[in-house]
Amino acid sequence: MAKYYDIDDILTEEEFAPVLFHKAVNGVTVDPSSETNSVEQGAKVELPFWLAHELHLRQVVSINLPSCFDQKTRLEIQADAACVDLRSRCPYFYEFGCKLQPLVADRTIGILLSTAFKIRYKERLTKVYTAAHITASTFLPLLTKEETNLYEEAHLSMTAFKKWRTGGPRFQIASILGRKRKESY
Amino acid sequence: MAGQTDPHTSLISPQEVEFMAEDEMVEIVPNMNMNPLNFISGDFGRFIPQIPTKVPLWLAVALKRRGKCTFRPPGWFSVDNLTQILEAERESQSTFQPLPFSYVEIARLLFDHARDDIPDMYMVRSLVEDIRDVRLHKLETNLGSFQGTSAVKISSVSAMEVNLVRPFVRRALEAFYKHDKPEADADRDSRSSRQPRESNNEPRRPLRQR
Repeated sequence: MAKYYDIDDILTEEEFAPVLFHKAVNGVTVDPSSETNSVEQGAKVELPFWLAHELHLRQVVSINLPSCFDQKTRLEIQADAACVDLRSRCPYFYEFGCKLQPLVADRTIGILLSTAFKIRYKERLTKVYTAAHITASTFLPLLTKEETNLYEEAHLSMTAFKKWRTGGPRFQIASILGRKRKESY
Repeated sequence: MAGQTDPHTSLISPQEVEFMAEDEMVEIVPNMNMNPLNFISGDFGRFIPQIPTKVPLWLAVALKRRGKCTFRPPGWFSVDNLTQILEAERESQSTFQPLPFSYVEIARLLFDHARDDIPDMYMVRSLVEDIRDVRLHKLETNLGSFQGTSAVKISSVSAMEVNLVRPFVRRALEAFYKHDKPEADADRDSRSSRQPRESNNEPRRPLRQR
């Protein structure tokens, strides 16, 4: 519950994951175009992660790997992790992967995530401080949300430092002093 | 209130780092007579013309602005010494030369307020800027060597440099930590799990022996 109000955490759980129903469920409309208000046993449906998780706990469904962790993406990450467009696959790639990890049968996600992050960190993110902002704009659209946050933090502190270095008003009047005192008689 | 910490990023602003650096002691030569000043941080003075005395940087700047003293640039602040440091910085790729913890801020304040007291002011200034750029580049290269370690050791990094990379490094280490932890969990779990692991799914990196 520590992340109850964390908007990124909420959005992560909104990501869809394919599930397989083990039981028939009545009275729910997962697919609006279906004729009956029920889901048959063995149906494959995409559900948001928060719902899939709860159903998984009740052993109604089993979760399969979403498309952003499929074989193609893995191969691309193995080939050159730094150039993979992770944002279009899943803007919360790492967080989503961490949440999925304990629930799916595939145990290699954790290694995939940490490998991908290490390579991408090394290739992309550590160039933030000296690279010009223009070169950065070419790879910014490829970054996931977490990586963008990292980049923004580094960029902000660098901007603040440059601003300080070039100078500006050395002394500022505190806002409370600037006010005219009211004459009181 | 540009000088204050931005509450959203929890970043100490460069102005605040400069403020803290103003407590460094410098030597001045006063040109007036004044009794000792008694502050919480200590007593400074007494001030006698032509007798050097040590005061905090902020006091020295205040006196200088009133034309009551001249600065004595610190020992490291000479062309010879800075040239040596720059050479050494360029030679070694991983280690940093020992410089005062807040050398960036002190240099800035001296350049701003004590221009006439520094010999070879333009030379010194460009040297300090070169040193700063070399060190920053080196620091960045060092950041790239993080491999999910829990402890990072880079010695002799100055206050401003630390402040510059603090938010980035903090977040990056958090991310590394997050991704290293489930890996350990997965190792433990997979031993007991009945499902055979698909070997062709693994990334090419050497995996830990299990």
